[in-house]
Amino acid sequence: MTRIIQGTPVEDIVKTLRTAKGYYITNTARDQSQSDFKNRILLHTDLMAAEQRDRAGYFSLEITGGASIHVDILRKQVDPFLKLRKLREGMPHTMFQTLCRGVNLFGYRPYPQNIIRFTVREFAKYVDVWRTFDFLNHVPNMHAVFEEVAKAGKLNEPCICFSTGPEHTNEYYVAKAAEIVAVTGQDITLCIKNHGGLGTPKRIGELVDALKQKLPEVPIHYHGHNTDGNDVGRIVEAVRSGATIIDAADSSFSGFYGPPPILTVVQTLKEYGFEPVGLDEEAVIATSEVIRDQRKHYEQFESQIKGFQPTVQIHKLPGGAMGSSLEQAAKGGFLDKMPDILHKELPRVQQELGNYWSVTPGSQILWTTAVSNVLGGERYGNPSGDLRNLLLGKYGPFPFYQPEEWIYQKVLGDDWRRVLAEEGGVEDVPDMDLAHERYALSELIGGEPTDEQLVLYLQHPNDAVEFFKFSEKYGQVYVLPPSIFFHSGGFPIGEKLAFRDHHGKEHMIEIGPTPVNDSGETSVYLIVDHHPSIFNFRAKPVVGQPGEAPVLSKEEILDLAKAGDIRSPFSGKVVEISVEEGQEILVGDRVAIMEAMKMQTPILSEMSGIVTSIFVKKGDSLKPGGKILKIDKNE
Amino acid sequence: MKKRILVANRGEIAIRLIRAIQELGYEAIAVYETPDEMSRHIRIADEAVLLGDGPRCDYLNIEKVIRAAKRSEACAIHPGYGFLAENPYFAKACEKTDIVFIGPTSDIIANLGNKVVARQIMAEAGIPMVPGTQTLKQGREGLAEALDFAGHYGYPIMLKATSGGGGRGIRRIESDAEMKEQIPIARAEALAAFNDDSVYLEKVIVNPKHVEVQILADSHGHTVHLGTRDCSIQRRNQKLVEIAPSMIKDKKLIDEICETAVRAAKAARYLNAGTVEFLIDQDMKYYFMEINTRVQVEHTVTEMITGIDIVRNQINIAFGKPLSFTQDDVQIRGHAIEVRINAEDPKNDFMPEGGKKVSVYRSTGGFGVRLDGFVYQGYIIPEVYDSLLVKLTVHGFTWDETVGRLKRCLQNFAIRGPKTTIPFYMNIANEKDFLSGDFDTSYIETHPHIFYYDEDSSEVGKLSRFIAEIQYRGENPFAK
Repeated sequence: MTRIIQGTPVEDIVKTLRTAKGYYITNTARDQSQSDFKNRILLHTDLMAAEQRDRAGYFSLEITGGASIHVDILRKQVDPFLKLRKLREGMPHTMFQTLCRGVNLFGYRPYPQNIIRFTVREFAKYVDVWRTFDFLNHVPNMHAVFEEVAKAGKLNEPCICFSTGPEHTNEYYVAKAAEIVAVTGQDITLCIKNHGGLGTPKRIGELVDALKQKLPEVPIHYHGHNTDGNDVGRIVEAVRSGATIIDAADSSFSGFYGPPPILTVVQTLKEYGFEPVGLDEEAVIATSEVIRDQRKHYEQFESQIKGFQPTVQIHKLPGGAMGSSLEQAAKGGFLDKMPDILHKELPRVQQELGNYWSVTPGSQILWTTAVSNVLGGERYGNPSGDLRNLLLGKYGPFPFYQPEEWIYQKVLGDDWRRVLAEEGGVEDVPDMDLAHERYALSELIGGEPTDEQLVLYLQHPNDAVEFFKFSEKYGQVYVLPPSIFFHSGGFPIGEKLAFRDHHGKEHMIEIGPTPVNDSGETSVYLIVDHHPSIFNFRAKPVVGQPGEAPVLSKEEILDLAKAGDIRSPFSGKVVEISVEEGQEILVGDRVAIMEAMKMQTPILSEMSGIVTSIFVKKGDSLKPGGKILKIDKNE
Repeated sequence: MKKRILVANRGEIAIRLIRAIQELGYEAIAVYETPDEMSRHIRIADEAVLLGDGPRCDYLNIEKVIRAAKRSEACAIHPGYGFLAENPYFAKACEKTDIVFIGPTSDIIANLGNKVVARQIMAEAGIPMVPGTQTLKQGREGLAEALDFAGHYGYPIMLKATSGGGGRGIRRIESDAEMKEQIPIARAEALAAFNDDSVYLEKVIVNPKHVEVQILADSHGHTVHLGTRDCSIQRRNQKLVEIAPSMIKDKKLIDEICETAVRAAKAARYLNAGTVEFLIDQDMKYYFMEINTRVQVEHTVTEMITGIDIVRNQINIAFGKPLSFTQDDVQIRGHAIEVRINAEDPKNDFMPEGGKKVSVYRSTGGFGVRLDGFVYQGYIIPEVYDSLLVKLTVHGFTWDETVGRLKRCLQNFAIRGPKTTIPFYMNIANEKDFLSGDFDTSYIETHPHIFYYDEDSSEVGKLSRFIAEIQYRGENPFAK
C-alpha cells in the first residue's frame, strides 16, 4: 500500500486509484481556511505544518484556488505563486490541489478564453490536481480548463456540484458525469462537490453507488462540508459505496463549516474495514500539534455564530460562504434577521430561481437577492447586476427550469421579453489583448512584469497593482507569523520579534517607545538587529489610508441620502455608476452598485431630482460614508 | 600651552583635519555657522568658535576666520578644500598676521589658480599640455582669437574661466555660433563665481581618463609624489568615484606621468600638498590640466595605498619640517576605492536631499575599510551646504578584493531618511566595465543602466517599516 507521489504521470495516478485497496485523503487546508477563518490562514502557518503534512501521505493538499488567490494578494500580501513555490520546497512529495471555478476561474464572472488558458498554464506549473466546477453544472464552461490541464500533464478532477431537492436525482447526476467523461475521458478523478454538506449519509452512498455502476473506471473523490456536523457519516457511506478519495482537514483548526477532522474519519472507517492508503497517522497528529498554538491568532476571523448549523439543509449556503455571510450580517447590523433570511427567504429564492447549486458565484446571487428581498421590503425590487446576468443566461442555461415570468419582469423590466431576446444567452467574452495588458501593467509598476504578475493583474487589476507596490515598500511579509501579522493593540515596549526573512536571514526587532511630539507626529522606535530605527507618522493620516476618515453612522448616511447626498453605506468597491450627471431620477431609482465581500448591493436614490455631480468612478474603493454622488431637487 | 590649529572648514573634512591635528598632539579649533550648530565637528574639536549666521558667507569671510584664529590663539590655519582653500587673499591675510597657512604660499596659489599663468609656467618647463589659448582679450578681439583657435583645432572646444577650478566655470562649445553666444555668458558667470571675468580656450580631449598625481613638497627642497589616482567617474566634471592607483597597465607611462608631475611642481616652486591633474586621451597621450593647491576630497585613496598621512605631512611642512621620507620610501601597495556617499537622488539628476532627517545611520567596518564622515542618527541635513555625508574608502591587496570589499561595505551601510547615492554605487560596483578597470570620463553617460535600482533593497528595512505600521495603527491596516 503506497501513497501517490507528486510527479507521478496522470495515467499511473488513475491506475493506482482504480486498484486501490482502501481510500485516499485530501487535506483540504484551503477550504478549511476559507470556511472557518475567512481565508486568512497565513503561509507562515502552512509552512510550519509543511514537514508533517508532507510526511502524512495525503493524496493531495488542497491549498490554492477558490477565493484564496484574491485574499492572498488583498489581505495577506503574499504572492500566490511564491506561496506554492515555498510550500513545494517544504513538501516535495505531496500533490498540490486547486479549486477552479471553470470559466469564472478564481473570480466571480466569466473570463475571456485566452485569459483562462494563460492563467491555467501558469498555475499548472505548481498545481497537480485541478478540481474544476461550474455552479450551473454547465460542462462547456469547464472545457478550456480541462484542455489546458490535460496539456500540462496534470490531473483533471471535474466536479458535479451536488444539491438536494426533487430535481436532484441520481439519474441527473449520472447523466451529468457521463457528459463530463465524454469530454475528458476516464483518466480523471470525478468529484462529488458537496459544498453545502447537504443530504444524508444514505443519500450520498446511493449517489456514489449509482455513479460507480455507470462509470466503474472513474475514481470518485467525495468533497463535503461539516456544517451540519454529519459529514463524517456521509464520508463513511461514500467510501463504503466505492469512493476512492475523500476530503478532511487538520483537527486543531477544525471548526464548523469546513471539512471534518482527518483522524475522526480514519478511526471511523477502520471499524468498517477501510484503511487510508499510505497515511502516517502519527504525522497527522503531529501536524495538529505543531500548529495548534497558532489558532488563537486567527480568532478574529472565526465565525460570528458558533456551533453547527443543521439548518444548512434548508438554506443550503456553501461552507465556504458561511463565514463571510455571517460577517456581513454582523457588520450590516442584520444578524437578527438571519433566521428569516436563511430559513425562509433563501429557500424560497432558490426555488424561484431554478433550484441550481448554491456555490460561487451562484451562491452570492442567491444570498444577495434574499438579503435585499428581506431588508429592502419589495421582493426583487433591487436586483443586482449579477442576478440580471443570471436571468439573461450569461452564466449558462438554467439546469432544471426557468424562473417564472414575473421575476423576469421585475428584474429586466416590463419589456423583458425584448431584452431577453436581444441580450440573452451565453456569449463568449472577447479575448483580451495580452500584449496590451502587459504594457499597461509595465506602465503601472514601472518595469517589465513577469508572466505571473500579469496573471494576477488580469484576475484583479487594481488589487494586484496595489499588492506589487506593497511588496516593493514592505518586502515579503509572509515571513511574519500571525502573532505579528494580526497583532492588535500595539506591542509592549521591550518585546522582541524574531523572524527569518525571505532570503533566509535571521532578524530581531525589539519594540521601543512610540512617543507623539507637539505637532502630533508619532515616532515609532524599533531596534532592528541591535540598531535603533525611527519611523515617523504624520499627525493626520492621509486620505484613503486606513485608520482615518470621520466615520458616519448608518443613520447619518441615510439622512444625507434623503438630502440628496449619496454616500457609501459600507466599505466596498463601486462596480457601476448607473446614472449620468444631469440625469433626472425618481425616488428608488438605482444610482450605483457597490460590491463588498463578493456581494453586489444597489444604491438607490432617496429623493427625486437631478444628478448634479458624481464623485467616484467605476472601480473606486470607498469607506463607509464615502461620497458617491449628489442629487439636487428639481427646480 | 599646546599648539593650536584652526580648522577653517566644516563637514567630513573638518573632522579629518581635527583628527590629524590631535594625533600630532596639537589642539584643534573648529569654526561654524549657525546652520551647522548641530554638526559633529564642533564636539570633536577642542574648542569651537561661532563665525556667524552664514550660510556659507561666514566660512568664506577671511576677516572673521582670522579673528577667530587670533581669539582662540591658534598659530596656524588649515583651510581643507573648498571655501577659502584656494583663495590667495586668504593665504596672504594669514601671512600678514603671522598665522601659518597650511598650504602653499599666496603667490603659488595665485599663479596656479590663474589657469593661463599656470599653463605658461608649464609650457616653459616643457610639460605636455592640451592645446589652448592665453586669456582671451575682451570684446570682439577675444572672439576673433577664439574663432581662429577653433578654426585651427576644430570643435569641440572647452571654454574655461581663467580663475576657475573644481570643475566649475567650464563649458563645452560645439560651433562658432555657440562660441559667440557663450563667451559673454561664461564671462558673467566667472565674474560672479571667481570675481574675475577672464576666460580661455582649450581643445577638448574626447572621453579622456582623468589621472592625477599627489605631490608633497617641503621647504627644504624635497618634492615627492605619492603615485596616481583615477577620477574618471564623474558627472558634469564632479567626481563621484576615485581609485588609486590608476588602472593603466603601462608602468613606464605611469612612471613618466609621476615624474612629469614632480617636474611640474618644481617648475611652480610648489610647496606643501598639491595635485597635478592630467588628461589621458585614447592614444595614451597625456596632457597637463592643472595643479590643485589644496588637499583633495579623494586624498584618502592615496593614503590607503601608501600608508602616508597627507594631512599630517601638510601640517609638518607648514611648520617648516623636512619630509621624513624620500621618494624611494614611497611604496604603492594594493588598490583603494573611494565613493562619496551623498544625500542625493541620482535618479532625479542627483537632486540634493537637504532638509531631511537621518532616521537611521548605520555604518560599516572591518578590514581595509575607512570612513570619513560626520553625520549621525537624528542629524538633519542642512539645505545650505553640500550633500556629502560620508566618504567610504576601501583598500585591498588586489583590485578584485577591493571591489568585493566595496560591495560588502555598501551592502552593510544603512542610511534612512534621505535618499543616498549608495544603491547607485552598488550598481557601479557590479558593472562589468568598472570591474575590469576600464572606464573614462564618459562612464556615467555610457552606462545609463546604473540608474536602475530599488531604493531600499534591505529586506529587514522594509519589514521593520511594516511592523512600525502595525505598531502605529494598533493593528495591521492591510489585513482588514
